[in-house]
Amino acid sequence: MNPGIDLQGTFIQSLKDLGIPSGAAKAIWMPLPMFLMIIGATVGVLVVVWLERKISAAAQQRIGPEFAGPLGVLQPVADGLKLVFKEDIVPAKTDRLLFTLGPIIVVIPVFLSYLIVPFGQNLVIANISVGVFLWIALSSIAPIGLLMSGYSSNNKYSLLGGLRAAAQSISYEIPLALSVLAIAMMSNSLSTIDIVEQQSGYGIFSWNIWRQPVGFIIFWIAALAECERLPFDLPEAEEELVAGYQTEYSGMKFGLFYIGSYVNLVLSALLVAILYLGGWEFPIPIEMLGSWLGFNEASPMLQVIDASLGITMTLLKAYFLIFIAVLLRWTLPRVRIDQLLNLGWKFLLPVSLVNLLLTAALKLAFPGAFGG
Amino acid sequence: MKFLKQVGDYAKETVQAARYIGQGLSVTFDHMQRRPITVQYPYEKLIPSERFRGRIHFEFDKCISCEVCVRVCPINLPVVDWEFNKESKKKQLKHYSIDFGVCIFCGNCVEFCPTNCLSMTEDYELSTYDRHELNYDNVALGRLPYKVTQDPMVTPLRELAYLPKGVMEPHDLPPGSVRAGQRPEEILEQMEK
Ligand code: SF4
Ligand code: SF4
Repeated sequence: MNPGIDLQGTFIQSLKDLGIPSGAAKAIWMPLPMFLMIIGATVGVLVVVWLERKISAAAQQRIGPEFAGPLGVLQPVADGLKLVFKEDIVPAKTDRLLFTLGPIIVVIPVFLSYLIVPFGQNLVIANISVGVFLWIALSSIAPIGLLMSGYSSNNKYSLLGGLRAAAQSISYEIPLALSVLAIAMMSNSLSTIDIVEQQSGYGIFSWNIWRQPVGFIIFWIAALAECERLPFDLPEAEEELVAGYQTEYSGMKFGLFYIGSYVNLVLSALLVAILYLGGWEFPIPIEMLGSWLGFNEASPMLQVIDASLGITMTLLKAYFLIFIAVLLRWTLPRVRIDQLLNLGWKFLLPVSLVNLLLTAALKLAFPGAFGG
Repeated sequence: MKFLKQVGDYAKETVQAARYIGQGLSVTFDHMQRRPITVQYPYEKLIPSERFRGRIHFEFDKCISCEVCVRVCPINLPVVDWEFNKESKKKQLKHYSIDFGVCIFCGNCVEFCPTNCLSMTEDYELSTYDRHELNYDNVALGRLPYKVTQDPMVTPLRELAYLPKGVMEPHDLPPGSVRAGQRPEEILEQMEK
């Protein structure tokens, strides 16, 4: 594999050339990817909110947002602004600290998880060897935040809602982790980069979805449930069920929950794209394409094209999955809480266990195809 | 064996559920490429149908204060304020009012009024900030609503029942297209023959 573009290295090197000591150069570099991550995630959320409103409008033969900006693209911004300017009400006799901490704890781990999302060989903020594990660990913080905000609202229905949300998150965490485990086993690594790398051999045919179709479906279902998307949006069905954990929240604190769930949706879609759909890989291997068209493999031109193609491909795959999630939202009815738990514990868990065992067996039997 | 059968049944159910979800998705996906049928309300309005029961119109001079409208109304709603005029030996109407915050637009009063001084209009835009403003007196009741078809600010659209056969959408109908079925004039003509 060629090293591709090394943004960090070139950035630091060019600062050093300007006469800045290497420690300072590294310190200047550090906030850049963080800001990039936050801005990227926020823009992703705005796009998803707009897409959701437009697609759902199309599915119902409506028009959707139209007046804020061309085709209503500024509508999510307007919504966000409205939430910012709303009064922030804290109910009487709440635990103020927990009440404020709750939404923050729900949101921050989701943003942090963006650290491990790679858009290319070197286009990742932190290439840690336990990337996927880190994501699973981070995503299990969210239930604590949900429980916290439900508990601190000084409202028994909110408490029940918080418990419900936590129960849902926990019961879908396990099949999710198990299906990720199968992937990790196949690619002999927990690093997202390695996982994509391992799928890069034969273009579209080497994507994990062909080797892990069951795992893919389980992962997507569990991810939808984790993001509290329909048909699993029991914890936050504000209008219908009344008693969610966020009943007492208003203004931006409520908005944080919303942002959290949308960021989580984008993140899950990105991760599905990375784990199962070959991440930044083009359906045809890019090196092959390059050699067909007669490019030098190490030419900077090809590398820039490769990087931008990688970002585009990852986003395309992720947004395709988001599109499916939106379609699902307008197709499926919401499940009941007992159906939800049944599905999680009695269906997804055993199926993902079997899937894991099968993967292990296949790995032993066909080490070539299943990553020996 | 029993366990295996259970597992088999469960698998069958799962596959079926997956198939149903797929069918549902294909339906929603199909809807995505249909044109929106939205009526963009303040700029476009549907033309109310012939028998639309909107706000009631009242003609003060025709009313004979017989109070039939009050008696046929399910809730005795119209308020007829009259005085006996000794010289002409007739009831003289002073005020008349209907509270549209309470009226159910059943049209009984219109149906039974002996002098036809009550009639239904096509006015449905009755929203106010204070529901007491919905209590219309005889002056307010005497106002005629502006017709949707004559309002230059509004694009009038035909309702589904008034579209030609097979057309679902009123937006770009060719001019002069005729609705399905016969118009009242045609029916009248046929009856006269
Ligand atoms: S329309 Fe019906 S409810 Fe309204 S005033 Fe007439 S009779 Fe009464
Ligand atoms: S029924 Fe007609 S004429 Fe009689 S009081 Fe009512 S509005 Fe007047």
